[in-house]
Amino acid sequence: MSDSSMTPSMRILGGRREWSRWRRDIPWLTPLLLAAPLLLYMAVFYAIPVVSMLLRSLNDPKWSLDHYAALPSDVVFLKVLWITLSTSFIVTLATLMLAYPVALALSRARSTAPLILIVVLLPFWTSVLVRTYAWMVLLGRHGMINEALMALGIIEQPLRLLNTTLATEIAMVHILLPYMILPIANALRQIDPSLALASSGLGATPWGTFRQVTFPLSMPGVAAGMLLVFVLALGFYITPAMVGGSRDITLSMLIAQEVDQLHWGYAATLSTLLLAVALGLVAIAQLLPGVGNTFRTSK
Amino acid sequence: MGERSITTINRRRAVGLITAGLAAPFVSRWAGAQPAWPEQTAVPDILKGSGEVRIATWGGALQQAEQKAYFEPFEKLTGIKVRALPGADQAKVKAMVETGNVEWDIVQLSNGSIMNLMKSGDYFERIDYSLIDDGVGKEYRSEYGLEMLVWASVMAYRTDAFNGAAPASWADFWDVGKFPGSRALYGIGSEHPELEFALMAAGVPADKLYPLDVDKALASYEKIRKSVTKWWTTGAQPPQMLTDREVVMTTVWNGRMAALQEQGVPATICWNQGVARRDGWGVPKGAKNKANAMKFVAYSTMAIPQARFALSIPYGPVNEGSFKYIPPERMALLPSAPEIKKQLIQYDYDWWIANQDMAVAKFNKWLLA
Repeated sequence: MSDSSMTPSMRILGGRREWSRWRRDIPWLTPLLLAAPLLLYMAVFYAIPVVSMLLRSLNDPKWSLDHYAALPSDVVFLKVLWITLSTSFIVTLATLMLAYPVALALSRARSTAPLILIVVLLPFWTSVLVRTYAWMVLLGRHGMINEALMALGIIEQPLRLLNTTLATEIAMVHILLPYMILPIANALRQIDPSLALASSGLGATPWGTFRQVTFPLSMPGVAAGMLLVFVLALGFYITPAMVGGSRDITLSMLIAQEVDQLHWGYAATLSTLLLAVALGLVAIAQLLPGVGNTFRTSK
Repeated sequence: MGERSITTINRRRAVGLITAGLAAPFVSRWAGAQPAWPEQTAVPDILKGSGEVRIATWGGALQQAEQKAYFEPFEKLTGIKVRALPGADQAKVKAMVETGNVEWDIVQLSNGSIMNLMKSGDYFERIDYSLIDDGVGKEYRSEYGLEMLVWASVMAYRTDAFNGAAPASWADFWDVGKFPGSRALYGIGSEHPELEFALMAAGVPADKLYPLDVDKALASYEKIRKSVTKWWTTGAQPPQMLTDREVVMTTVWNGRMAALQEQGVPATICWNQGVARRDGWGVPKGAKNKANAMKFVAYSTMAIPQARFALSIPYGPVNEGSFKYIPPERMALLPSAPEIKKQLIQYDYDWWIANQDMAVAKFNKWLLA
């Protein structure tokens, strides 16, 4: 009733005043409203389906912990979990070793930086399936590498490269490299260049500067890259199936088989476990000194 | 409205009507070396209708064949629109029926999958056999699924690998001395391990395979393990490996070999001791266009559509009447053709459904050991 007696401009002013009071009293209101569309989207299309799927590990066919109780005695699961974790670990280390120098070059380069960035990102934009096929062409018994080595007389019989664990690791490293290079390069670029100058001014060799200044300061990027690569590597499915050897069976492949055979409760249990491993790693990374900052907001 | 009048027709007589309704096949020469395709020019009124039917297929070359053999003529003759949706999958049927969101009226699945799902709940509608053509063999009819194509899991090898010698049995496949080179066999995935082949390699006669002796099969696998370069997962892998000379011999799904041979890759199938498998149509429980679905199932298993399908892709028809439309050179590629059928072993879906958990678990464990 009183509203109708207000002029439009009075109403807007009143609304504005109210809004600033809300914002003052509830500081998280603005960020929440800004994030609301995404939160809603994630809740409806991600959280609810994932939770209901994970619940199957507890209530399919009836409420019980039977599926989890079966895990420690399931030889196939234990072996596949071990293969998945160790492959992911090896791939993460190999990726780190290849990525760090590139990241360093990327962070130091001026005119060539865009070129390096394109070279890094180009494979990133190609489908995983296409890249996996490309590795089959390269590594095959009569593939390009074997044919070249034989033509040069280095080997007489083709080497067995394809359908081995090595092939899986090579292909996975190739796919995951950008996920390691970009966070590290980003961390390196944020290091104040005057620190390196100060270090050499105080008599440190270039290697000493790298070891004692640059490398420790790049650790947040290294940790972020390793975490990203490891978690992504845990979920690989197509690549090991296409180029891997007989023992390259990953947890994702096992989950797919359980789904196909309609053991959804057990498949959900395996998925929950995979998710728990990934979340556990993120939690551990948070606790590492200097690393946690990567995931916290800077103030 | 049209659908209601159908129910008043005596369903038994409908079978007769279907056969009578077949016009003489209109034979036309296709350009090039294409074999003559029979055309159906009319269907019995009982199969006509309106609206649409949504069919989940496996996509790819198979769906293209179904398009030409079934979908296009069915739309023209019955007035029912077909919407083909690739991605047929038993797990999706389970999810759709459980959530009450049934997006398919028909789904292509193996009868094993249909039986497997029916074991744990009520996921499919009963097939309306009053509409089905008499020519469809008894062995292809089951309560909740009608099988509509026969495929085979067989041995394939590179013809240039053994100086003209040709492997003819699983014992030969296992004989690395006589037929040297790497092999590929099926590994871990949605299908079952090929225990039948391992047992035949170990000397178990084809008629005494079932019930499968899993431990004996694994012992037989152990003998060839070192020569197996790849335990494959998807149907595209074996032809790929034969083309790339990654292996000299592999197990393969017969339909996948046609494209390879057309490309001129020197590779061929050994039908002897292969396993004949079947795919069928199932109608998910609660399908919106159930009546149209039953009409489509009936139409697609009639003699001429079945023959057209077999001319398009080398899978065998389930209708006895189809063979008279198929030239002899094509018959040599079809797993249900009499000459080939007698070389194959019939896959025992009942045994597999009852024992798959045990067999797959043992095989997985063995493969990882």
